Amino acid sequence: MASKGTVLMIEDEENIRDFIAASLRAQGYKPVGAKTAKEGMALAASLCPETILLDLGLPDMDGGEVIRNVRSWSQIPIIIISARGQEKEKVRALDLGADDYITKPFGIPELMARIRAAMRHGTIAAQTGACADVFCVGELRLDLGKRLLQIGKEEVHLTQVEYKIVAFLARNAGRVVTYDAIISHVWGPYMDDNNRILRVNMANIRRKIEKNPAEPRYIFTEIGVGYRMAQEEEPPGPAA
Amino acid sequence: MQKKVPQSSYSQSWWEVTWKNTLVTAAILAVVTLVAWVYNRISEGTVNIVMFYTVALIFIPRFTQGYVPGIVAAMISVGCVNYLFTYPYSRLDFTRQGYPVTFFCMLLIAVMVSAVTSYTKEQSRILAEQEKRLREAEKEKIRANLLRAISHDLRTPLTGIIGASSSYLENGELLSEEEKRKMVRHIGEDANWLLHMVENLLTVTRIQNDSAGVTKNMEAVEEVLLGAVGRIRKRIPDIRIDVRLPEEFVMLPMDAMLIEQVLVNLMENAWFHANSTKPILLYTQIGEKEVAFCVRDYGTGIAPNHLETIFDGEDRNGGGESDSHRGMGLGLSICKTIVMAHGGRILAHNCEQGAEICFYLPCQEQPASEAPERKRETAGD
Repeated sequence: MASKGTVLMIEDEENIRDFIAASLRAQGYKPVGAKTAKEGMALAASLCPETILLDLGLPDMDGGEVIRNVRSWSQIPIIIISARGQEKEKVRALDLGADDYITKPFGIPELMARIRAAMRHGTIAAQTGACADVFCVGELRLDLGKRLLQIGKEEVHLTQVEYKIVAFLARNAGRVVTYDAIISHVWGPYMDDNNRILRVNMANIRRKIEKNPAEPRYIFTEIGVGYRMAQEEEPPGPAA
Repeated sequence: MQKKVPQSSYSQSWWEVTWKNTLVTAAILAVVTLVAWVYNRISEGTVNIVMFYTVALIFIPRFTQGYVPGIVAAMISVGCVNYLFTYPYSRLDFTRQGYPVTFFCMLLIAVMVSAVTSYTKEQSRILAEQEKRLREAEKEKIRANLLRAISHDLRTPLTGIIGASSSYLENGELLSEEEKRKMVRHIGEDANWLLHMVENLLTVTRIQNDSAGVTKNMEAVEEVLLGAVGRIRKRIPDIRIDVRLPEEFVMLPMDAMLIEQVLVNLMENAWFHANSTKPILLYTQIGEKEVAFCVRDYGTGIAPNHLETIFDGEDRNGGGESDSHRGMGLGLSICKTIVMAHGGRILAHNCEQGAEICFYLPCQEQPASEAPERKRETAGD
């Protein structure tokens, strides 16, 4: 069976490594495990894996160091594994260049969806230009060339800023995008980090694009971290 | 009793107190004398002059400490009335008729008022202290209940997990495939429950002793609701919730993780204890000073004798061992701890059908301890 790609797990808990490895193998990936950050960085350099799963709580080094180290020479997608309640660490890791995160404990389907999303972005980033001009998920259709957003057959009118936010999220569909990343993309780097304006815009977007804003299908909120645009393969609703 | 001089209880030096007392007494007497003098110029009446000084004698003990200022002021007042406002003016004449009565009455007023104000000051100080001690005791009680509930509740699922795994390993060959699956599923369920408990406990460690221990950020109410609903859907996929987002956009100071935890606990409690198939209703009410978050179910309601103690961490049905969702008391008491740490309040009540639990968060940043603090200041000084 052809491997879907190598996945490097940098995680010190053997139990967790074992069960992730077993599920990855079952899904056709080739898992490689590393116990420490040092070992992980060495393996990352020598194997050039398709994706890296990184636990933030490693014994020998801060996870942030690993991200920095890997990012200094490669754009390999990095998915952070972290516990609930470490929102600050997650944001920091994402701002350092990690692609996504997953909160412990997670189900295998959730992890696989993240890995697929990360790998897809990895390949898109590698061949820029091939990026589709039209983004579709569910009934939402966003034409990035014509700056046109449709839900079903109906066109939705967004303000300039709202459009920028939606387009940015769509380009990163499936991944979480931090508040800071959105703010600096939409308003530029000199905006102060008052994210009220972003929240207000998101509230408006939610009311415009979601049929029932209370049960969002397209844009999910990751409290304390940022927002995530749904991706085609994810079933509707946050009950993924 | 009598040795308990009021000065000693107000960590101030004797000189400071004396200095302050003298100043205040002199100032009040000067003002009253001025007023009396003006009044005397205008109306030529002398009867009311005594009344002015009486008022002064009531005020002086209020703003000074101890009996001395009042008594001294009484003497000075009598002297002033005699010297300045009664014939012969500008001369002390102690032979006037009724003089001892005036003198005695003023002295009596001064002593009485001093006694009463010292007493009330001391009393309010004691009250404030008691209030503080009560608050601490309540916190202690919540903590103790938590610990008790935890140690009790952690053991049960752990026993299940250990038992199932060891019997799987030892008698694996003897078990049918279906039995094995069932065992593993039970292990999974127990572990999930443990995780939920641990997450609850972790939230408590985020709260330190007082409300200053919660790091509050401005968060959009609707996003917290969405976050909580997303989380509970992940935990209980078949839960049915009717979410009503607020019409207007509101942001509140809060620790979003903690408030999310409160909402998750409340929804979970409603789902497992209401015994109803109707969806849970989650809605908010936006007021001027606070926002209410309400979780309403259409089930059997809360037993009336539990309404009072439902947030105190006590077990619902005594032992609780038979309850498949044990430890719910723990979840609710954590809700209370979190809401209180935000300076809010939480209430449970029964509706026509089912029960409703609402918690209220203030719109403005205000630590829970600030209001009593200010009260104590005005009362003690």
